[in-house]
Amino acid sequence: MSEEEGERVRGSGVSGMSELLAVGRYEFRMQARKRSLWLATAVLATVIGVFQGPRGPRYLPADAPAPEVMAGWAMLFGIVVPLAFGMVLADRLIRDRRLGTAPLLESLPVRPGLLLAGKYLGGVAATGLPALLLMLVAGGYETVHRGDPLILGWAVLAFALVMLPGLAFVAGFALTCPLAVSAPLFRVLFVGYWFWGNMLTPDFLPSLTGTLVTPIGDYQASWLSGELALFAGVPGWLNFLRPEPGAGSALLSIALLLLLGLLPLLVTHTVLARRRHAA
Amino acid sequence: MDIQTTGLTRRFGKVTALHSVDLAIPGGMYGLLGANGAGKTTLMRILAGVLPPSGGQVRVGGHDLATGAGRLAVQRRLGYLPQDLGLYPDLSPREFLDYVGLLKGLDDTRARRRQVDELLELVALTEVAGRRMKGFSGGMRRRVGIAQALLGDPALIVVDEPTAGLDPEERVRFRTLLSGLAGNRTVLLSTHIVEDVAQTCQYAAVMAGGRVVYTGMVTELVRVGEGATWEVVTGVGVAPPAGVVVSAISRTDGTHYRVVSPTRPSADAVPVTPSLEDGYVALMQR
Repeated sequence: MSEEEGERVRGSGVSGMSELLAVGRYEFRMQARKRSLWLATAVLATVIGVFQGPRGPRYLPADAPAPEVMAGWAMLFGIVVPLAFGMVLADRLIRDRRLGTAPLLESLPVRPGLLLAGKYLGGVAATGLPALLLMLVAGGYETVHRGDPLILGWAVLAFALVMLPGLAFVAGFALTCPLAVSAPLFRVLFVGYWFWGNMLTPDFLPSLTGTLVTPIGDYQASWLSGELALFAGVPGWLNFLRPEPGAGSALLSIALLLLLGLLPLLVTHTVLARRRHAA
Repeated sequence: MDIQTTGLTRRFGKVTALHSVDLAIPGGMYGLLGANGAGKTTLMRILAGVLPPSGGQVRVGGHDLATGAGRLAVQRRLGYLPQDLGLYPDLSPREFLDYVGLLKGLDDTRARRRQVDELLELVALTEVAGRRMKGFSGGMRRRVGIAQALLGDPALIVVDEPTAGLDPEERVRFRTLLSGLAGNRTVLLSTHIVEDVAQTCQYAAVMAGGRVVYTGMVTELVRVGEGATWEVVTGVGVAPPAGVVVSAISRTDGTHYRVVSPTRPSADAVPVTPSLEDGYVALMQR
């Protein structure tokens, strides 16, 4: 190929959008090909789906409104499935060093922030796909069971409002924290955090359970179903993070989860940039 | 794309990997020789914009690598094959090259795909282009590595120890490929394998202990070994002669040693015509 042709093929790349999408697309592809992602999701979802307690969506009355049914499924999956996602995503950033691809990536004309953001987007998309499929399967089951075709639409909405912000939150931390602690240690800490911060009743020990920053989507599910989903707003530690459930608090919870998920990315980007320029 | 370093220094904590390196690299194929730990990889990483220098100046094609804009300008015309390049096991060579091509700013999908296919053919990987790279041999991985370095028709190609670990046939093929690429480009070949430089480069630099100890024509480096390269034949079981033994071959009349030594290693030592390896060893002895 001639030099002139090479220049023509090469885009301007000024905005960085195509590079961001490229990283996101290929990270998604690589993560979606990880067998453990699908296996762990399937096992956890099957266990929680089959052995759900009497408060589970399967036991809701036949005339229960569709949003309540699907919010219940989203909460149910959201309680355990992100555990698997946190485990799977924990090696995605550090593996560039382990595999030896990092020097090549760093030599390419792409800003490090774009690489990080692309990996994040790819991670969210790759974990979002099995979560969405789970919701569609549950939605399909409920459509047949309850005979309401609109349930599938509510399944998608419940996924977007209840599960997705939590997945974005988990992806931000799971990608970056293993840079500071090792991936195995992060996984142990993550499991501990998950049970402490999402499932421990607020009156038992000081916990983040039932706050706006609970990634299982307690506030959003409560808003959709019109009832208290789990512990949203129950008085406890950090009461200012426990407003009454409703539309406003649900949207605030979504915004906080998304921002908190971005926070470790910003910190990581800043630290890596400083390290890189420290001669 | 010419390369100019002035007083280039790189420290890692208390360790100085590069000591005030002054180097002028013109276009064409250029060899960088040195033992492991000589500072070659550090220099390569600085030239690729992966590592910032601790001091001194680096200009590549007129761009100052100390500035973000300069680094980006160089990286847009760079093909870099790092030492021990890793590949994503979950991607095929075609996907990996497509990914790198996108990150190099090759936005035209059809043109990029055509170039990827051409490069896969060039490195003889067309047959496995769609197979995931998990389980690829060292040679196949290197070929993917060189193909990605050639994406986007780079004006500067930096290859770090590209033939280490390859079998002889692969090495020859790789060297031929690199030589063919030089033309109007700058190809910087960093290696500790003297033969690779002997077969491909007209000019070379030698590094030792983070310093450049030689720059110039390869033929001149060979001449460093003149008057210092000897052949000595000893009886079986006799200790090897003084100096650096470059080779030892057992024959029926005894062991034939090729020795590099500034002084005649023994009374019966015969001076011989030096090779590049002899010149390199003689230089390292100084």
